[in-house]
Amino acid sequence: MNEFAIVWQHRDLLLIGFENTLIIVALGATGALALGILLTIPLMSSRPGIVALGAAYVDAMRCVPFLLFVYLIYFGFPTFGIQFDNWWAGVVALILYNAAYMAELLRAAWKNLPKEAIEAGHAFGFTGWGLFRRIIIPPVLYSSLPLIGNQLVQIVKDSAFLTVIAVAELTHEATSLQTTYFVPFASFVAAVFLYWMTCMTIETGVAFANRLAEDRR
Amino acid sequence: MTNSSAVRMPEAPAASGAEQPVVLEVSGLSKCFGSNTVLRDISLKIHKGETVCLLGPSGSGKSTLLRCMNWLEEPDGGTVVLNGQRVGMRPGGSVRMSDRDLAAARTHIGMVFQHFALWPHMTVLQNVMEAPVYVLKRPTAEVRAEAEALLARVGLAEKLDSFPARLSGGQKQRVAIARCLAMKPDVILFDEPTSSLDPELVGEVLSVMQDLVRDGMTMVVVTHEMSFARDVASRVVFMDNGQIVETGYPEEFFAAPKSDRARQFLMRYAARGQ
Amino acid sequence: MTTYDYFSIAYGALATVSLSLISIVLGVPLGLGLALIRWSRLPVLNQLTIGYVSIVRTCPSVTLVLLIFYALPVVGISMEPLPAAILTLTLSTAAFNTEIWRSALANFPRDQYDAALTVGMRRGLRFRRIVLPQIVRSSLPALVNEMTLQIKSTPAVAVIGIVEITRAAIRVGARTYDPLPPFVVALVLYSLIVFVFVKTQRTIERRYAQAGAPA
Ligand SMILES: Nc1ncnc2c1ncn2[C@@H]1O[C@H](COP(=O)(O)OP(=O)(O)OP(=O)(O)O)[C@@H](O)[C@H]1O
Ligand SMILES: [Mg+2]
Repeated sequence: MNEFAIVWQHRDLLLIGFENTLIIVALGATGALALGILLTIPLMSSRPGIVALGAAYVDAMRCVPFLLFVYLIYFGFPTFGIQFDNWWAGVVALILYNAAYMAELLRAAWKNLPKEAIEAGHAFGFTGWGLFRRIIIPPVLYSSLPLIGNQLVQIVKDSAFLTVIAVAELTHEATSLQTTYFVPFASFVAAVFLYWMTCMTIETGVAFANRLAEDRR
Repeated sequence: MTNSSAVRMPEAPAASGAEQPVVLEVSGLSKCFGSNTVLRDISLKIHKGETVCLLGPSGSGKSTLLRCMNWLEEPDGGTVVLNGQRVGMRPGGSVRMSDRDLAAARTHIGMVFQHFALWPHMTVLQNVMEAPVYVLKRPTAEVRAEAEALLARVGLAEKLDSFPARLSGGQKQRVAIARCLAMKPDVILFDEPTSSLDPELVGEVLSVMQDLVRDGMTMVVVTHEMSFARDVASRVVFMDNGQIVETGYPEEFFAAPKSDRARQFLMRYAARGQ
Repeated sequence: MTTYDYFSIAYGALATVSLSLISIVLGVPLGLGLALIRWSRLPVLNQLTIGYVSIVRTCPSVTLVLLIFYALPVVGISMEPLPAAILTLTLSTAAFNTEIWRSALANFPRDQYDAALTVGMRRGLRFRRIVLPQIVRSSLPALVNEMTLQIKSTPAVAVIGIVEITRAAIRVGARTYDPLPPFVVALVLYSLIVFVFVKTQRTIERRYAQAGAPA
């Protein structure tokens, strides 16, 4: 089988896709985490109406299949006059969708935070944003590292869905490689391998960070 | 360290005069976990109707010895013989028993665990009936009648249909004993049956065990209940550091232990107000 | 959009959920079988299972279905889209189920198992009467969680051209030159189905929280 030789010959195509996947995942993950952190504020609010609003968003995302959500963003935003290319549509979909999952796991960690730490924060005069940023969020992030890691893997996997709106990510490039040169086996095996490598790297990194964080919990 | 070979070791209960047959015999048993030798050259005969109490400090290998007796733990050397038949190994050879033969051998050796080990998804009655029905393949109606009688005997006639989670520790342990008895075993091994019980519940379990002794059941009991050993045991075996240091009748052992290690062990208990 | 369009999208939703359910029915026992291979540490098979779980767990379902549909014919296994989709979905959910069953087996209380040994139960009986009923109970919340994730990711098989919810919406959009409405309908409809499963999952979780973890 010289399929693999052909794929190797055109590896730059695959690597462009891989690079795109990595960039999309990095942007998606950062965005989702940041938005997720902000979303915990309404979720943990003391006003029931605000909680309900945040929970509605999180619950909606838990029920929506990502693929259909991608189409919705892609076709829907232009209707509201927001124009962006499919690459950005993909990144935005990735962020909006995964932020809900991040928010939910961060909220659970926040709920399990010992009351004393927060009360001590109050005692030292922290309030509002300062309390949130300096006292609450750091331990919440440390304790939910493993779950954040799982979500990062999920973002890598979700990024492959973006092929349906023709984002030039890894799966999309593997598909075009296979249609151009008819090397389905080698190109998809290579793609699966690259996904596996990415996720293993993420998991190793998170496990390492988790060990470092051990002292801070 | 005193030399244990200087100590007289009675091999059989002389009290009743007539020599009872040996039910379980352990010879030259040794067991290592990795580089940690937990049992060295253990030899012990359990006669019919005897209650042998195994005493010794924590980590001396009591549980491991018990678990080797029914092959829950595979010994590295030595033999276990039940009613004249090798346990764990095929007769004569050095070939391991099949799953079936080992299971069959185990039906004759009951075991009561420190943490009860009841099956939580079955009611009390089901726990007791499970093995006679599914392992011994005995008729359900007959087994049920027997199980109900056994549970009444351990004082749990009211709890037949309760699930284990709803019972107190003492009740759980009595169910576990009834579960053993339903198999009509030749010998029952008890591994610290009262150690995980609240103090006020210890008595009810010990009294059930005393009844068994009176009925002539053969038992090996690992326990930290010195008064039980003193009053009920027909023989006391003291272990330390993976070896049998001393064997004796309870009156002698508790009054005048022969080895220093046993003396120290008993003194520690006395200091704790036992 | 005509009534027929709504109907075809609803039909697509049904087809997707059916695919999901088939893969779940196949994947739950397959996962159990693989977990048992890991539990008994069968040489070679154990290593293969570890590899399989690791790769499939990290592989996007879109990529996996493309691999199975386009690449397997190269090694002589040719499949229609429908069986290819079912195979993909089953392999993928089985990988996650293997991990769920495996952790239940690993956490099974040692002394309960020993108790089964001491009353002379043989391997099959031990598993059937003592272990299985309890790991089914302790794995249920995680299994149902995986089922909802599975139902959510099933539309991925659209990429090999199966007519299910995504394809149905694309077709309607292509015909009406207005792609948004059919996708909104598809999304709402399908989310309602997932919602039923999420609801069930929460009920089960709440029951478990009340009853306490099974010992
Ligand atoms: N499964 C095992 N793996 C490794 N080491 C073990 C295992 N079981 C027991 N050991 C070791 O064997 C030694 C004897 O243990 P054992 O449980 O037999 O002692 P014990 O006399 O029953 O003590 P205790 O009174 O605390 O129950 C200990 O050092 C223990 O750490
Ligand atoms: Mg012990």
